[in-house]
Amino acid sequence: MYKRSALSNVSRAKPFSVLSPLRAKSSPIVEENTTTKSKFEQLSPAQKAYLDRVIRVDQAGELGADYIYRGQIYVLSHKHPHLRPILDHMWKQEVHHRSTFNNLQLKHRTRPSLITPLWKLGATAMGVVPALLSPEAAMACTEAVETVIGNHYNEQLRCLANQFNVSKIDGSKDEPEEIKKLTDTIKEFRDQELEHLDTAIKNDSHMAVPYKLLTEGIKTVCKAAIWTAERV
Amino acid sequence: MSRLIAKKLLQGKITTPSKICVRSYHPIAKDYIKPITIEPLTYTTDSLQSKVLGHCLANNVPKHGFKEKAIVQSINQLGLSPSLISVLGSSNSPSFFHSSPAVLELIKYHLVTKRHELTKDIPQDNIDHNNGLPSLEELMIKRLQMDIPVGGQLTDLFAQLSIPSQYLMDTALPELFNLADDMIYFSNEKDHFDMAWYTKRLGVSFTYVTSKLFMAQDKSPNFSETMQFAHDKLYNVMKLGDYYNNAEEFAWYTLMVSTNLIKSQLARK
Repeated sequence: MYKRSALSNVSRAKPFSVLSPLRAKSSPIVEENTTTKSKFEQLSPAQKAYLDRVIRVDQAGELGADYIYRGQIYVLSHKHPHLRPILDHMWKQEVHHRSTFNNLQLKHRTRPSLITPLWKLGATAMGVVPALLSPEAAMACTEAVETVIGNHYNEQLRCLANQFNVSKIDGSKDEPEEIKKLTDTIKEFRDQELEHLDTAIKNDSHMAVPYKLLTEGIKTVCKAAIWTAERV
Repeated sequence: MSRLIAKKLLQGKITTPSKICVRSYHPIAKDYIKPITIEPLTYTTDSLQSKVLGHCLANNVPKHGFKEKAIVQSINQLGLSPSLISVLGSSNSPSFFHSSPAVLELIKYHLVTKRHELTKDIPQDNIDHNNGLPSLEELMIKRLQMDIPVGGQLTDLFAQLSIPSQYLMDTALPELFNLADDMIYFSNEKDHFDMAWYTKRLGVSFTYVTSKLFMAQDKSPNFSETMQFAHDKLYNVMKLGDYYNNAEEFAWYTLMVSTNLIKSQLARK
């Protein structure tokens, strides 16, 4: 059973000093069951702040992806019906990603991005405009977006793997269950995003006309959006 | 770049700009040991500070209001050293406009513990938003009823809370938003993942503050008029949300219909 050691007894013996009330003296509430030992210490404020950011930026990102594919489907599905099943498949996966992060946001009580309407507008434009240029340009846009997202997910995975080894009461260290779950979710989503990247390349994304300009421009925009969504 | 941020964040080098815009991540409570303090208070519930401030709220604030006098009386009644009053206020910076840091701490304690008490009986582990939770209105009325004992002192409280100062930004407003967030999370109210998340919280905060202002001047027995006022106000604010949703749905419908009409006309040629 977990109890504070002799130190707290000493401070209790002393009736009053100006500083003693400022110290948290009491031992954590001990629950009478065997599972108490496997409980984790509280996450630090910095760890919480990081998870807060992860959920917000991923939610905003998946919202963006959802609207990009919607825009592409809206423009391309009539003129190029052969692309329809490919786009539909990718869009459905993005919708699933988005709803997963929406649920996580509600469950963990983080706030959504404050400029959500702007993300919706920007993402729709990013889907529609390249698709109006040509189907190849739309694929180049997909390629650029998924490259940035894949890298971004990888960075998050690195941080989650490095920084969330939390101590348990019995002294051992482990990742809390929710961090493991989040890691698995992000891994799965990253793989699917990279699959979309391959699909885009297979569908002639490299044939897009101002290829370098398009991909590099969209990559920059995406990075700026990620930077903003983490904060606002 | 974001790796760098993560590193800085975890080393505690990035401090968030203002407490107002922080909605911290809530881990799944059952996997962790219970925290010994109630955030954002820095002392435990059985500490000396809590003892004095709790005693003061229960016994002296209804008589003397949120004033230093009430705290001094509590310290005397508990037989503690008078120097304790400087310890109590130590987490607030002295402010030119406020009476004393200890009084600010008393108000903070009042806001935080009452908020915590509001949802104490609701099991925190398996929140099922479809059943077993009180309605938003029940929670708001319950919170207003908690303040009945200090009902006569609310003008005083408002004066301290609404002075533009660091305290307003660091404690008063964040506590208001935390309360609104708690009320929505722990009630069967539908929650959202877009702008409605913000508007609903603002609406609830607004309703709560106006009801509290009404309560400050309410002379009816047991503040029954305040409860009626809160009921009506909340109903109206929620109706406003419905108006907006209906208008948005109609605008979207009209847009789609006109686009399709234009498309079909173009296709005829």
